[in-house]
Amino acid sequence: MKLISKTLIYYLLVSLPLLIIAGLLSYFLINSELKDGTDETLMNEKVNAERLIQSLKEPKSIYLSSDSLENIIPCTDCKLKSGFIDTSIYNSVEKENVGARMLRSYYTFEQNTYQITLIKTTMEEEELLEGILATFALIVGFLIMSFVIVNWLLSKTLWKPFYSTLSELNKYEIQNHEQHHFNEVNTLEFNQLNVALNKMMDKIYSDYQEQKEFTENASHEMQTPLAIIKANLSLLMQSDNLKEDEMNRLQIIENTIKKLASLNKALILLSKIENNQFKENESISIKQFTSKITDNYIDLFQSKDITLELNLSEDVIVKMNPTLAEILLTNLIQNAIRHNNEKGKIIIELKQNQFTISNSGEPLTIPQEHLFIRFKKNDASKDSLGLGLSIIKGIVKTYGFRINYDYSSSLHHFQVNFN
Amino acid sequence: MKILLIEDEPELRKSIKLYLHQEGYVVESASDFVKASEKAGVYDYDCILVDITLPKGSGLDIVKQLKESGSKAGIIIISAKNSSGDKIKGLDLGADDYLAKPFDLAELNSRIKALIRRRNFDGNKSIVVNEITILPEQRQVNVNNEPVALTAKEYDLLLFFISNKNRVVSKNTIAEHLWGDDSDQMDSHDFIYVHLRNLRKKLIDKGCTDYVQTIYGIGYNFKVSG
Repeated sequence: MKLISKTLIYYLLVSLPLLIIAGLLSYFLINSELKDGTDETLMNEKVNAERLIQSLKEPKSIYLSSDSLENIIPCTDCKLKSGFIDTSIYNSVEKENVGARMLRSYYTFEQNTYQITLIKTTMEEEELLEGILATFALIVGFLIMSFVIVNWLLSKTLWKPFYSTLSELNKYEIQNHEQHHFNEVNTLEFNQLNVALNKMMDKIYSDYQEQKEFTENASHEMQTPLAIIKANLSLLMQSDNLKEDEMNRLQIIENTIKKLASLNKALILLSKIENNQFKENESISIKQFTSKITDNYIDLFQSKDITLELNLSEDVIVKMNPTLAEILLTNLIQNAIRHNNEKGKIIIELKQNQFTISNSGEPLTIPQEHLFIRFKKNDASKDSLGLGLSIIKGIVKTYGFRINYDYSSSLHHFQVNFN
Repeated sequence: MKILLIEDEPELRKSIKLYLHQEGYVVESASDFVKASEKAGVYDYDCILVDITLPKGSGLDIVKQLKESGSKAGIIIISAKNSSGDKIKGLDLGADDYLAKPFDLAELNSRIKALIRRRNFDGNKSIVVNEITILPEQRQVNVNNEPVALTAKEYDLLLFFISNKNRVVSKNTIAEHLWGDDSDQMDSHDFIYVHLRNLRKKLIDKGCTDYVQTIYGIGYNFKVSG
């Protein structure tokens, strides 16, 4: 539910009892004011009636109204109570009893006592209540209508900065941090929100940046110690009197350092890709690059007895960094070589803006969705660093390409869509 | 042959110095920008190895300084930052080669030799090892004055062996030299074996001594006595 609608409901929930109380109060107030007014009129008429009595030459009854209810009657034995009385009289026109206020008083003039009865019909309580109810219903109606209109206007104008902040937030991507900014607005609260958001985003961005730099710096810092180990290992290998098992150990150390160095290099590459450090783009012919790389690996295909099938009829020209293009294709081809069977095959197909590489091989032992995650590797390939496909994914993501994987008829298919 | 090594990491400096010294070079070293700049300004070197990140300055500025003063020394940048930007910048400034850490000493050695050869400081364009003569410009190999037809990889392998003769070079080092960055992506050891077997056979067929010694577990040594 919209905040505005909620506000409206709360306003109504609060204003309804208030209106009811106000209605009751006005009912009682108006009622008593009306009574007071009637009483005053009756009192004035009483004075008039007394004057009338004073003008009488002899005691007699006087009827003041046509229905004889208002009258002046001489009385000797006056028992009826004097004062204001609420009563009702029959209205012959409307054919119903109507409320009335009666004033009965006694007046003595020249030893004769007269009973004065004066009656005024009053507005009926029911009618009064109905009137008040109708008035207040009207007020509530107007209130609701004005709430709706005002809130609609508010959401159009007052809340506009909020909605623009919201849409800006939805669009936010940390890679494009510089393009996002929450502008200054003249509503204090929204301005505070925007200032806080700018501050928060800047902080997140600088942390993110720091984190990225850390990965890269840490890897760079490892290069020199690795160089020292490697150099000393080379010197140690020149030693004349190494025993066979010592040499084996040296070999193990060397292999491990090589692996560590490759790992480090791959991590640096990955963070460089993620940091968009490969900026210079060129028009790349995927066909040319593919041919160049496969030519380079001819030795390897032969030694592994892998049959290579190239279908590069339709060239694809892509705008990207040449280094990354080469890494992308090399990694895909190497991946197809590494995870192949003995006497297996590789099929590379280029058409309709798609590069598809298929290779024979055992089905995956890890879930397909783990395929592109760092260090998640199919356990059959112990020599793999587990970063090749992450690098591929990183490059593909940088340029907004798509990569799909599926396994069918004993073939792994990787499909890069350059659209 | 005089080399200036500019590297701030003492242990790395020591081992590079030792290795190159064994190769018969005179090696001087500098550990920071100021000392390096001083030495490079005062003495002449055949080859200068310079690290980019140095205390008190950048190795790239030394390259600039050398080129501005008209130095004829060959320059190889050795850097922990394997960034194409630094590489391009360095080569643009006039450096001759770029080697990313961690590198192999044998690889560094072969790069220095290639650089010196290219600049022809020897006054001699061919490399002669007993009955083997290599003409690097033509990429040609003669044994007893008779040409041997070698594949590109076999030629590179032989040149690498000869550049590092009488030294144990590991299979990993050879693989990295022959296949560069891709070497860690494949089981290149079998590969080396295939190329080496073919190379040996071709040389022996021409009456060449088999100089390649297999060092069990590690690699090979191209042993030329004397």
